[in-house]
Amino acid sequence: MRISLTVPGALTALAAAPFLLLWPSAWTLLACALAWCALIGTDLLRTADPRTLRVRRENPGQVRLGSSADGRLLVTNPGTRRAVLHLRDAWNPTAGLAAQRTRLTVPGGERRAVAQTFTPTRRGPHSSRAVVVDSLSPWGLARRSARPEVPGTLLALHAFASRKHLPSRVRRLRELEGLAAVHQRGQGTEFDSLRDFVDGDDVRSIDWRATARRRSVVVRTWRPERDRHVLVVVDTSRTSAARIGEEPRLDAALDAALLLTALATEAGDRVDVLCIDRIPHVSVAGSSPRTVLHDVVAATSPVQPALVETDWERVAAEVAARTRRHALVVLLTPVEPSLVEQGLLPVASRLAASHPLVVASVADPSLEALAAGRDDAEAVYRAAAAARTGLERDGAAQALSRCGAHVVDAGPEALPQALADEYLRLKAAGRL
Amino acid sequence: MSAGGLLAPAPTSGPAAGAAGSSQGGAEQPPPRNGLLVAVLVLALLATVMVSVLRGSYRDGPLEPDAPSPQGSLAAVRVLEDLGTEVTPQRRTADAAETLRAGGTVLVTAPNLLGAAQVDLLRTAREEGGGRLVLLQPDFVTATAFAPGVRPAGTTDEPTLLRAGAGCGPAAFGARSLQLRPVAEVSGHDTYYTVPDGAAGCFDHGDGSAVVVADGVVVLGSASLLTNDRIGTLDAPALALNSLADPQGLGWYIPSAGDPMSSLGPTLLDRIPGWAAPLALWLLVVTALVLLAVSRRHGPVVVEPLPVSVRAHELTIGRGRLMHRAHARDSAARALRSAASTRLAHRLGIRRETRRDALVDALAPHTELDAAQLHRLLGPTPVADDRELVRLAHDLDRLEKEIS
Repeated sequence: MRISLTVPGALTALAAAPFLLLWPSAWTLLACALAWCALIGTDLLRTADPRTLRVRRENPGQVRLGSSADGRLLVTNPGTRRAVLHLRDAWNPTAGLAAQRTRLTVPGGERRAVAQTFTPTRRGPHSSRAVVVDSLSPWGLARRSARPEVPGTLLALHAFASRKHLPSRVRRLRELEGLAAVHQRGQGTEFDSLRDFVDGDDVRSIDWRATARRRSVVVRTWRPERDRHVLVVVDTSRTSAARIGEEPRLDAALDAALLLTALATEAGDRVDVLCIDRIPHVSVAGSSPRTVLHDVVAATSPVQPALVETDWERVAAEVAARTRRHALVVLLTPVEPSLVEQGLLPVASRLAASHPLVVASVADPSLEALAAGRDDAEAVYRAAAAARTGLERDGAAQALSRCGAHVVDAGPEALPQALADEYLRLKAAGRL
Repeated sequence: MSAGGLLAPAPTSGPAAGAAGSSQGGAEQPPPRNGLLVAVLVLALLATVMVSVLRGSYRDGPLEPDAPSPQGSLAAVRVLEDLGTEVTPQRRTADAAETLRAGGTVLVTAPNLLGAAQVDLLRTAREEGGGRLVLLQPDFVTATAFAPGVRPAGTTDEPTLLRAGAGCGPAAFGARSLQLRPVAEVSGHDTYYTVPDGAAGCFDHGDGSAVVVADGVVVLGSASLLTNDRIGTLDAPALALNSLADPQGLGWYIPSAGDPMSSLGPTLLDRIPGWAAPLALWLLVVTALVLLAVSRRHGPVVVEPLPVSVRAHELTIGRGRLMHRAHARDSAARALRSAASTRLAHRLGIRRETRRDALVDALAPHTELDAAQLHRLLGPTPVADDRELVRLAHDLDRLEKEIS
């Protein structure tokens, strides 16, 4: 516990000035000092001890970025003295606590609550570093402080802005499943049912054995195979730290990963998510369809970009360890020439040989604006640089395509939908 | 732990009521305390002002002619003025010398502070004008300088009762008995002086006399003859008034640091009143306390490691600036041309890997430009300067617009 002086307490010492003016001597000085100390001491003796206060917290829990969560601090005063408190709950700034400092009065034997509203501005875990309780003396001349141990945590989840696109994609998924009859048999489809032949059906889908048993011609119908395995690999290396628009590339990538997770779960597929750069950071594996979306949201919310290069061989090893053949592998990494040269290409071709592979990349829409600049020489040089960057990206994307990967390159707003559409296209084509 | 587990007996401690109470309790608390503080401060300020006003605007110090304090000499000055002597407070040696030249009387309240030049000036002025000089407790050097033969014979710091002896003559100044007491503010002791031949001494004590008159120079051995609190005792008024009264006027000369002739040392401190030092010390302490109170931090500084964030197109802009600075016009033109070619090929449905000839052949029917111009536009034609590069970019734009 610490004792400290308040500003009014220090200013009361000015009251000694007339005495010093009347009797200017060292003894008066001493007497004034003693009198002032006595005044402060008397006031302090009547102060409620902040160490005896019981402080408890109702944690705000989890909140999506962009919305608010409520928490409470409950302060109980078990003593008999009235406690005039000045409370500070020291959260980190991006936790968005509306008011860190509160003044409140807790009469003896009573309890008061401090309502807190959190509007976090950064994804990830937030915590309260300390709770400082100052107990003001009755005259307000001094205070006693204590730091009770009241841990506080708040998990700010990814905003998942693309969830508004989920209903339309699910509808298309249902249409796909409903159109199962026109599907050809192929890899990634499974037997659905037998029905009577109608004009227009492919003769190759006639089930001759069943036709022989019955009088009419019977066809087999197929539907997209369910219960496939989807592995989403999110690259968290330095390239994911780049800011596009208002948020880092990683956030857009996670947005796409979440939409794909939600959609694939609706389609009956199993989704695993792996965040990796030099080492695997977070993985969600084997979650039940009910909880997988929440698990992925909660697990990826603390993930931040790291200033390292991705070890693609490591990625290949992790993918091999987590999947069987023909699991859909989605790599969320920017298609950048430097990155592709750093070993993505051979790994991608190896992965594409055994899995359907989708490489989803967050493109930078501001490049197009740069490429259209024609105002002066400076703008034209910039346009040339942007054009060159675009060409290099195209080249890298083509190289990946030649390896057998499906490349989805779109801006941060459009990528989640584009990736979901690519998934639906693969599903409809029976390529899973 | 349930919310009810901590409930106090008071009825207001439900969660909702508690939350409301906390905000109200916090809001109503500070004003009365602030009011009290303001009242205390205002009272302190008023008391300080009152004290300084009641003291009046006089200069306090030992034997100051305006000071009504115990160590001042306002009483003697008032009575002298009532008796017809014009008393002039003097701070400069030149003024005092002027009075002496005019034949008046000058009282030097602190002759020991005079430098050699000042002593010389006063002595010659007295010899020229024939005025009278009254010295209060001069030391050996000063006493012998003004009145040769007069020198301190002894001191005492005890109160002493003295009576005028038989051979006093003019040195008694009409007084018969004196009660002397050292004045702490002046010297802290009384001095007795030897009486040379041809001079008159009175109020003997031991080997010396408290009052010596030698050739127009009066030496007084005790400051208690002139201070407000002691002048009323026994015959001190008679001695003070008789020795100082002069129809030619009395110069009340207080040697000071402001005198141009003064050789006194660090005398600025002498001007500071006595209460200044303790008060300044106290204010210093109060300032330190206030700073300490203000600078107190309420809990720790919270540092938060924020993720790095770089705008994605910084690299491209940097590359553009680099090309500009290096005047890499050809490489810029190449990038613009191949980007445009790629887009055109895409629009015309040609494979992008095709040669330029094929692209030009496909373009020719759709544009006004002939094949040579198209080759110049899309081919590796050198670019002379920046203006030409800008024109090239515009030409490519126009071509793309025609095709679309």
